[in-house]
Amino acid sequence: MDPSEALDLIQRERANAGRALTPDPRLMYWPWGLTWLIGFGLSFLRYGPGGRVLVAMPEWVPLIGLTALMIAAGVFTGVVGARSSRSVSGPTSRQGVWFGIAWSAGFSGLAVTFGQISEMLPEHLLGLLWGGGIVALVGALYMAGAAIWNDRTMFVLGAWISAVNVIGVLCGPGWHALVASIAGGGGLLVAGLIGWLRLR
Amino acid sequence: MTIDEPTIPDLDPVIHAQARLRVVAALSQLNGGDRIAFPRLQEILRMTPGNLSVHLRKLEEAGYVEVTKTHRGRTPATLVRLTNRGRFAFEEYVAALRTLITPGEDPS
Repeated sequence: MDPSEALDLIQRERANAGRALTPDPRLMYWPWGLTWLIGFGLSFLRYGPGGRVLVAMPEWVPLIGLTALMIAAGVFTGVVGARSSRSVSGPTSRQGVWFGIAWSAGFSGLAVTFGQISEMLPEHLLGLLWGGGIVALVGALYMAGAAIWNDRTMFVLGAWISAVNVIGVLCGPGWHALVASIAGGGGLLVAGLIGWLRLR
Repeated sequence: MTIDEPTIPDLDPVIHAQARLRVVAALSQLNGGDRIAFPRLQEILRMTPGNLSVHLRKLEEAGYVEVTKTHRGRTPATLVRLTNRGRFAFEEYVAALRTLITPGEDPS
């Protein structure tokens, strides 16, 4: 083994171990990207800007659809994340578990709070409250995750989501759903692609 | 194994063996303090249990890895981690390789 062969071997082995120990970014981001694209897309089509109904569907479809998709994406990414850290114990797996708990706690807190006031709000503001709140939480959690794992892609994603969320909320009901669907969901899909290309 | 090449005097002989270099390189991807279960490490390295055990023992004797036997529930588990000493030795080894490739340049 000459020095350059040894360096090549190190490079290969580190890359291989890195891939085995890190969850595939496509599997971590794409389910969420699709969830937002479809979930917020439905909301935009049902509760369009100015109260227009762009596509006729029962009024419960967008919120139930988004909730169901989010639960599915949460379970899927939870399993994928746990699989990559299986058989590894120590500080890193604890970080992962705590970060996962932070997501659940944040979503539960929002759901309970918004659930309490939802009855008093008109239908068109309901989507803005839930959508804006959830997207704000996700943006902040991605930035926090980026701080834990020193992951630039994740930080840019969190900052992007947080920024487009504020813009969407300021534009008002209907527009927010469109922004969250295209810019938010699109951002998640792009982040998965970039993360995967970096890891390959 | 045609491993310890006497023509290259400055390379750590414990690490400068293809199989052990692979083990150390893979373990270096774990964050400090993290331990990996033996079967998972074996899977990542595509080594037989016997082969991996032999190399781990050599690395353990040098103080580069720490092998701990523990229990997960009722099943016994063997966990492996790179010690600080092992991580340092690996970094030194990589630095030495770099100087050998580009002599005259101090990599630090």
